Amino acid sequence: MNFLAPFAFLFAATLPVVIVFYMLKRRRTVRLVSSTILWQKFLAETQANAPFQKLRNNWLLLLQLLLLALAVFALARPYFAATTQEPGLVVVILDGSASMQARDESPTRFEAARKEALKLVDGLKDTDQMIVVLSAGNTVVRQSPTAEKTTLRRALEECQPGDTPTRVEEAFKLAQTLSKNRSNVEVHFFSDGAIPAAENLTAIKLPVVYHQFGKRANNAGITAMDVRPHPEDPSQRVVFASVFNASTNAQTVSAELRFNGQFIDSKVLNLPAREAASTVFAAEQKQSGTYTLKLKADDDLAVDNEVSIISKMPRPVKVLLVSVGNRFMESAIRVLPNVEVSTASQLTAGGKGYDIVVLDRVTPVTQPEVNTLAWNIGNTNWFESWRTVENPVVVDWNANHPLMRFVTFDNVRVYQTLGVKAPKWGLVLVEAQQTPLLIAGEKGRQRLVWVGFDSLESEWPLRNSFIIFMANSMDWLNPQQTDASQFTLQAGTAFRQPLFATVDSATVTLPKGDKKEVKLGEQAKEFIWGETYRVGSYKVNHGTNEMAFTVNLMDPAESDITPRSQVPVGAAGSVTATNSIRANLEYWRWFVMAALGVLLFEWWYYHRRTV
Amino acid sequence: MSQPLITAELLRRLEQLQLLARRRSKSTVRGERRSKARGQSVEFADHRNYVSGDDLRYLDWNLYGRLDKLFLKLYEEERELPVTIFLDCSESMAFGEPNKFHFARQLAAAIGYVALCGFDRVSVRTFPDNPAESAYRQSLLSVRGRKSSLQYFRNLAHLTAKGTADFNGALRRGALEARTTGVAVVLSDFLDPQGYEAGLTSLIGRGFQVNAVQILSPEEISPTNFGDLRLIDAETGAQTEVTFGRYRLEQYQQMVENFRQKLREYCAGRGISIFTASSADSLEQLLLKQLREAEVWG
Repeated sequence: MNFLAPFAFLFAATLPVVIVFYMLKRRRTVRLVSSTILWQKFLAETQANAPFQKLRNNWLLLLQLLLLALAVFALARPYFAATTQEPGLVVVILDGSASMQARDESPTRFEAARKEALKLVDGLKDTDQMIVVLSAGNTVVRQSPTAEKTTLRRALEECQPGDTPTRVEEAFKLAQTLSKNRSNVEVHFFSDGAIPAAENLTAIKLPVVYHQFGKRANNAGITAMDVRPHPEDPSQRVVFASVFNASTNAQTVSAELRFNGQFIDSKVLNLPAREAASTVFAAEQKQSGTYTLKLKADDDLAVDNEVSIISKMPRPVKVLLVSVGNRFMESAIRVLPNVEVSTASQLTAGGKGYDIVVLDRVTPVTQPEVNTLAWNIGNTNWFESWRTVENPVVVDWNANHPLMRFVTFDNVRVYQTLGVKAPKWGLVLVEAQQTPLLIAGEKGRQRLVWVGFDSLESEWPLRNSFIIFMANSMDWLNPQQTDASQFTLQAGTAFRQPLFATVDSATVTLPKGDKKEVKLGEQAKEFIWGETYRVGSYKVNHGTNEMAFTVNLMDPAESDITPRSQVPVGAAGSVTATNSIRANLEYWRWFVMAALGVLLFEWWYYHRRTV
Repeated sequence: MSQPLITAELLRRLEQLQLLARRRSKSTVRGERRSKARGQSVEFADHRNYVSGDDLRYLDWNLYGRLDKLFLKLYEEERELPVTIFLDCSESMAFGEPNKFHFARQLAAAIGYVALCGFDRVSVRTFPDNPAESAYRQSLLSVRGRKSSLQYFRNLAHLTAKGTADFNGALRRGALEARTTGVAVVLSDFLDPQGYEAGLTSLIGRGFQVNAVQILSPEEISPTNFGDLRLIDAETGAQTEVTFGRYRLEQYQQMVENFRQKLREYCAGRGISIFTASSADSLEQLLLKQLREAEVWG
């Protein structure tokens, strides 16, 4: 025989207490009376004073000890190992997406879901096991299979919803994996049903019980926002925003735009039922900062009522063209907006002071330290060896790389090129039969684009794709990419920022002001922060550098908090919500507690002194 | 003596009473009670034949005239009624508020006064012995005549309750020592570990007309000490531990009542008039109503 709760034997410590109670003598008041004859009927009970007395044969004591011992034994939950049916496995998937924070359930949908899940724990058979999976920004197994109800309850209590879109696919796939080789499996999905249909979900073969939460869809939320330069006035910025009304009633909300906390403009939006409305703000921007659009709406979901976007002032990119003379190339760079070009015949000081170095057929004495676009350069640091290849024929190019966007090599012929082996640091973007023609990659913290041939010994400068490639190169190599999009993330998306120097550690300030330290070290080329489960502004400090990025929900699927009675899960394509929960609620604990209570009452009643 | 045992008003009312004896007095001392003895009095009892030497003054000359025979007229001799009061002076009597012993002395004074007014001899037998008070106790052993009542009261007032009593022994000794039997009045709380039966039986056996008054204090009838108690017997020093709460008061009172009932039944079975009183009871009520109704006196 074993025990599920052996710690309950600690209660056995109460047994000596009962005995001590019996040994305790009472402190009695001495009274002189005329005669004790009349008191003969009131002769002292078996117990007496000063603090201990000898234990006497007392059936009451024995019964009490027996009762207490049985209660302790029961609390220890004894069990015998025996053959029984395969224990069931219950997989609880809690939807922790932003829409579960809607307040139409009391206090929120997530809390209501948690409450129901806890009921499910109560109803679990002793042999059944349960897994708790929280599907928020990412899918986390909060509790691996166990029958320990206390552990399961704790795991459920620790679950918190995020401000992220729904990503339940992983959770269901995980459930499928965890329940492999088990026959008696049941998946309980606690959600409001706002999940997109997906192939992976319909492939789920497990029996799914869907517990639906949410009563209404009273919500208006910002589903999109962008800041762009004004097409007509470069000093101005245009802020686009799209606001979705999930309610079946039309509603009017006011949207207020602020820049770095300063009020800019406010607009009243009339939102038709179940439709989105767009609005545009124009604002003059003289410095980098954050645009915050806030909806003043009395709705059930607050997460999507505010969106912040970082807008940086574009800074000119400094490019050093080291060449013996190449009009095509110089022109191709000069036509790019926001680029300052300097030319030189030799590279000095490793290109310090410049953002990008373009080496055109000039092999430098010292290695460039900044991002480099190299044409027709053989370099021992980059390649082990090189040779000359005549008339290479382009066989393939990688159109998905940012460098190759809108770039084609259909009608480009090359007279001769350097023949190299593809190095470890780079990715071959354009390939000829004999050799790679174009390699891009990161060497240390340096970004490199290497082109094997001399542009003047090819037809490429005569093609449009050459200018596009140069523009793409300047973008990709620009260390200070002004693209604001990387500083504005959707909740749950990791923030990535390349590091150009060794950083030991960085401090991240979360939206609520909490700070977290991240160890980086010499090997780190990139700063990655994945815990973007809360919307708001984040700050990253490393050394003297400071970066800010914002996390927003901006997800029409989450803003549409309409509760769905069906979810697109399982082979049938949908699972209908159920209200009932299988509950084998155990009450034996209450009876044991009552027995202990009766025992205590019995003791008190026996010893009561109504004075 | 802080206060008189009996008020003047009560004394006046007691004067009208006379102890009632169910049997004729067996005393040899002349008094005012009818007796079986023949002697000088005004109550005609019988005739008998004249024998030589009889006093000619008692011849019934009318009868001689009619029958021509000499008969002597006999008269009932009036004797005194010995009243013996057994007064419990043990330590247990010293308890109570009002004090049980004071109440017992008042009763003894009242009964004694009624007897003295009726020209009866009053004998107060106190127990246990107390050498310090032997003078008073000796003088209380035989009191006669109304004139002695004042001294009788004084002697009573000097008595104190002290020591451990042997109730049965005291009564048995009193019964044996009495030269003539009469009315016996026992004033006690009857709380003797050895019981009271043997003592009362010896009095009955000796021929006493026994009246008994059991005196308990209000505290004994309805205790006010609650909690875990260690009770010490004032007389014997015996200790008793009790856990006593209000919830058991009724049970206690029932037990006291049972104790009294048992005493009553014992006495009723042996022709003893028994009265149970609390020291807080009205003395007048007991003396002028209860004792009268029970025909202790009339």
